[in-house]
Amino acid sequence: MSRVATEPTRIAPEERLVNLVVALLATEQGLTKDTILTSVSGYREQSEAGAGKDALEKMFERDKENLRGLGVPIETIGDYTDPDDLREARYRVPTSEYELPVDIDFTPAELAVLNLAGGVWSESSMSAQARSGLRKIRALGNDVDAPIIGYSPRINLREPAFAPLQRAMEQARVVEFDYLKAGEESPRRRRIHPLALLEYEGRWHLYGFDVDQAAERTFLLSRVSSDVQITRREFEPGLRDGAGERALRGLQEVAARQHALLEVTPGTEAALRLSRRATPAGQGITVPYVDVHVFADELASYGPEVRVVEPALLRDEVISRLERTLALHRDPTATTGDTLEEEDR
Amino acid sequence: MTAKPLLATDRAALILQLVPYLIGKGEVSLAEAADEFEVSEAQMRAMVEKLTVIGLPGDGGFWQMANDLFDIDWDLLDEHGVISITNTVGLERTPRLTAREAAALLAGLQLAASLPGVGDSGVIHGLLAKLARGASGVPADLIVAPEAVDDVRVTVADALRERVAVSFTYKAPDAPVTTRTVDPVKVHIASGQWYLQGWCHLRQAMRTFHLDRVSEVRLTDIPITHAAERVPDLFEPSESDAVAEVRVRAAVVPLLADFLDRASVSESGDVRTARIRVADQRSLKRVAARHSGDVEVCAPEAARRAVASWAEAGLTQYR
Repeated sequence: MSRVATEPTRIAPEERLVNLVVALLATEQGLTKDTILTSVSGYREQSEAGAGKDALEKMFERDKENLRGLGVPIETIGDYTDPDDLREARYRVPTSEYELPVDIDFTPAELAVLNLAGGVWSESSMSAQARSGLRKIRALGNDVDAPIIGYSPRINLREPAFAPLQRAMEQARVVEFDYLKAGEESPRRRRIHPLALLEYEGRWHLYGFDVDQAAERTFLLSRVSSDVQITRREFEPGLRDGAGERALRGLQEVAARQHALLEVTPGTEAALRLSRRATPAGQGITVPYVDVHVFADELASYGPEVRVVEPALLRDEVISRLERTLALHRDPTATTGDTLEEEDR
Repeated sequence: MTAKPLLATDRAALILQLVPYLIGKGEVSLAEAADEFEVSEAQMRAMVEKLTVIGLPGDGGFWQMANDLFDIDWDLLDEHGVISITNTVGLERTPRLTAREAAALLAGLQLAASLPGVGDSGVIHGLLAKLARGASGVPADLIVAPEAVDDVRVTVADALRERVAVSFTYKAPDAPVTTRTVDPVKVHIASGQWYLQGWCHLRQAMRTFHLDRVSEVRLTDIPITHAAERVPDLFEPSESDAVAEVRVRAAVVPLLADFLDRASVSESGDVRTARIRVADQRSLKRVAARHSGDVEVCAPEAARRAVASWAEAGLTQYR
């Protein structure tokens, strides 16, 4: 027997939300708003208690929004004679779009790989999303192979711009943010159709259509200097198709046509790290790069282990970094530092 | 497991997943279900109890009948802490993945694809298609650029799989070249950098090696003997590490997160002063030069002087 609450006390919102899903899944032809507000538990009690119609309708709109956010596909069947008139609209959730397709099953080997893939996010909200997805897949009850041990792949994500950009991409909405282009004094406002986010050489990039420049552009997330504002303007969702591939190809093409001629001291950290990406060239090596400022940062860290022969722009960037470093460390500090033994690792 | 407070929408999402889970399990203890859903046992009990007042709308404004509601075996729950669902009125099948859940898994798969023995098995391709088909919306396009797999990575993967030690030449920055034999325990991959953690026969302790600094790698026939020892976290400082003081501009703190993770940091306007443990203070000059102008090494004095001479020596090449 059910222990049905005997008094119509306040119904918890999650209860109302789930009741609504159950009701909308159970109907073929759809339920009108009036039927929902007077029969679905959670609304019904408030209707009976004399809640205002406006308040109830607002609550219903919010609930629909929240459920769609959870991936529940609420369909609106409008009045065909007047599509803008929603008074006679009916709502339903098509079972086939709500449920995982029946023919999707996962092999034990696939589940083992998925478990590994689900554990890569170091950032907590993406990690929670991955775990929630895994939980749904596990609920299918398929067997799983022994876990893949010995690997700990991680995706690092520290840029606050990531989450709002991802949300805007899902909703195909235009975003605005301030962007400080390297080498420029002050940030500029950008209006972008966000199309893909990609991690390339350990950095997150946004690939999107720049509305003001009328061209596709790639941005480093670490140089977004304001909050990302999601506007109400939508863009054509079809623009997103294949955008990730285009973005990746774009960066690879940049790397293919931009390279530096470097001289490295053999046996040093610079030689080890750079030669992995390099091709030998006469007295030095040629190394492709994507972003002159990012590459100059790396080269500056090698100090005297590397010398930039060309291009001149990269050489100048490295020189100015070394000059800044020297200027900052030229004078002794007042702090009394301990003398420390150097340790062989 | 720490259970966080949940929003109503989160709780609704969990209830939608709970029904198919319980059906699949038949009977399951509160503890196991709480663990699976990452909530406390009390939260799980509350969710299950809530489930029994949820159901189909009553006909024509009447109260719902008992068989219009979800129900559970109450005796089993009260006496044994075991959940068993006895009546369902919908929600029996697992909901689709949300666009964001699918995106999070798809990105993880791209990274997993770069692992020797995982990516080349053909499994990834099938999974990408299944996840795309199992999502309720179009996932945001998240791309993790593929990494070239080289001999070093493949050999280390072989050693892990065959559970034998691997031998290689190692050149740490500012240190002489050494030959190491290592029982491989774990390969860490982050931001395109690969690290091997394992028990080093030379140092007789767990050590971390950056695979870019490894060369002349080969498999040995020495079986792994120290794999069970505690593996420190990647970048975990040890007691013997030196303490350094650095000043960092607030704006670049996120870029230095790994470096500053365990630092004690004090704030003063735009500047953060951090006391950090560093395994090798010679590495500070590289950090300071990489973040030129934004990172200042204050102490030890020797490390500060080393930064100045590092930059000076670099500049001399261009004069």
